Amino acid sequence: MNLFSLALRNLQRRKGRTILTIIGVAIAVAILFSLLSFSAGYERELTKEMDSLGFHLLAVPKGCPYEATTLILHGGVIPKYLTTEDLARTRATEGVKTAAPVLLQQFVKDGTPHIVYGIEPDAMIPLKPAWKVNGRFFTANETHVMVIGSTLAEKENLVPGSVIPFGPAQEPFTVIGVLKPTGSEDDNFHFLPLADAQRVFSKEGFITAIAVRADDVKNIHDITVELEKVPDIQVVTMAQVTGTIMNLVGSARSLLFSVIVIAIVISAAGITNTLLMSVNERTREIGMMKAIGASGHHIGILLITETLLITLSGGTIGIIAAMAGSGIIETFVRGMVPYAPSGSFFSSDPLLIGGCLVFSIGLGLLCGLYPAWKSARLSPMEAIRGEWE
Amino acid sequence: MSIIEATGICKTYHRGREEVCALKGVDLSIEPGEFVSIVGPSGAGKTALMNILGCLDAPSCGTLMIDGVQVTGKGEAELVKIRRDHIGFVFQQFFLIPTLTVGENVGLPLIFSGIPYDRARIDSLLDKVGLSHRAGHLPGQLSGGEMQRVAIARALVNKPRILLADEPTGNLDSVTADGIYGLFDDLHRQGITVIVVTHNRELAQRAGRVITIRDGCVERECGYPHVSP
Repeated sequence: MNLFSLALRNLQRRKGRTILTIIGVAIAVAILFSLLSFSAGYERELTKEMDSLGFHLLAVPKGCPYEATTLILHGGVIPKYLTTEDLARTRATEGVKTAAPVLLQQFVKDGTPHIVYGIEPDAMIPLKPAWKVNGRFFTANETHVMVIGSTLAEKENLVPGSVIPFGPAQEPFTVIGVLKPTGSEDDNFHFLPLADAQRVFSKEGFITAIAVRADDVKNIHDITVELEKVPDIQVVTMAQVTGTIMNLVGSARSLLFSVIVIAIVISAAGITNTLLMSVNERTREIGMMKAIGASGHHIGILLITETLLITLSGGTIGIIAAMAGSGIIETFVRGMVPYAPSGSFFSSDPLLIGGCLVFSIGLGLLCGLYPAWKSARLSPMEAIRGEWE
Repeated sequence: MSIIEATGICKTYHRGREEVCALKGVDLSIEPGEFVSIVGPSGAGKTALMNILGCLDAPSCGTLMIDGVQVTGKGEAELVKIRRDHIGFVFQQFFLIPTLTVGENVGLPLIFSGIPYDRARIDSLLDKVGLSHRAGHLPGQLSGGEMQRVAIARALVNKPRILLADEPTGNLDSVTADGIYGLFDDLHRQGITVIVVTHNRELAQRAGRVITIRDGCVERECGYPHVSP
């Protein structure tokens, strides 16, 4: 027998109340852990995805550049186009190392939208060092061939050599390569030679965007200024896209932080109430303990131990629940944020787990302090009489 | 040397604006190994005197010495030590912790005194109060008399020289109360100073000395300091 086992037994007296308090703490910690975990994971995945794009800026048709960029990153289609002249001017701009044209088109097959990327392999492949292909890549002049993303291949049960009807005219196309998983949106796309894609979708001479890699990151600003002199072109740097998305996500995060603050305050009030009720019910017993040799310090430690047992159990359960339910929470978060990177947001960083457990301890100390102080300073005689206030 | 020496003890409480004099200059001397009953009507000041003798409350005036140590004026930390080392308490309501077994309840003071949890001592005390077969039971499974016996064993676990009992038979029937007094008598014979506050004058007569308190003063004392053989 020691103070710890005594605290444990005390919590067993009102099991229902103890369990409800633990659930309250668990909910607060689960929300906190999920929020911090997803926040860290989101930023990490977004940065990773932006880095994997392999280009520094995107030249898009004038209009709504950020919308256009997120659509392009996701594989959406915008009803405006650049021309091969714009591509030529971009390539001629000083500081531009690579300018890779992209034509984005969409078609629906069996009710599912399919995204088609028309690319110049010689320009695009150097921008995508993460691309590894099973089979082979096409050359610029080939027709009726395609490379597809791994997720798409798995979903459609396609392998190198498969022949599928493709495009508005349902022409036979041969899958000559399947990309190994990249963890990005590329895993869901069809990649065709640019000229063939323009032919299939009757967009000869048009491109949706131009991915630009500078020869030096210091030149990004100058290139931007230069390209924006072209009447059709608006430039979006990847840093701007990341910043804009993070700002938008930041608003959602602020809202969630408000929720967590409310949850924590409610939880803290619940814990303090449980402890105060528990102390109130046991006032005479506390007096007895003081009479038989307990000091105020012993009583304080006992109360704090009880609180810590509640908050640490709640914290642990909350973290486990958040980890177990991360899939559901991620689906929910994906629906809430304006741009969701394809990699998993969830982060089970040991530092984060430790931080949340420390938070539980802090919450326990904060909530237990007043009841512990109040019961510790009770005079034994008053306590035995049951004079709590 | 007296184990308890109280001189001119008075105690004044404030109940709202009203001032209540519970004790008015009580002088009391108790020898080691005595069995003393304190009797008197309700509101006479019995419990106030008991609380002061047990260092649970401080007198408004007068001095108190326990085992040769001046108690009056000492801080709570020192009083905790005096209570722990010298005094065992038995209460009318038993105050057993319902989620602890009988054995654990008896060993409870050891947690606070820093003495290693001594299973053998607990068993021996339970044997002394006739409850060795109940060590693993919870208080809720015991009768009132058994619960008070557990409380007495708990009061003895720190080997106190003084046992203070405040209305220990107040919640018990007469046969059980008689058994509890038999137990006090045994403890007195083993050399423990036993002081019992009671309403029951018949049981009080079993002590060597009966002190009657009325209106905060010692009205009379019957018997003589009778120490254990």
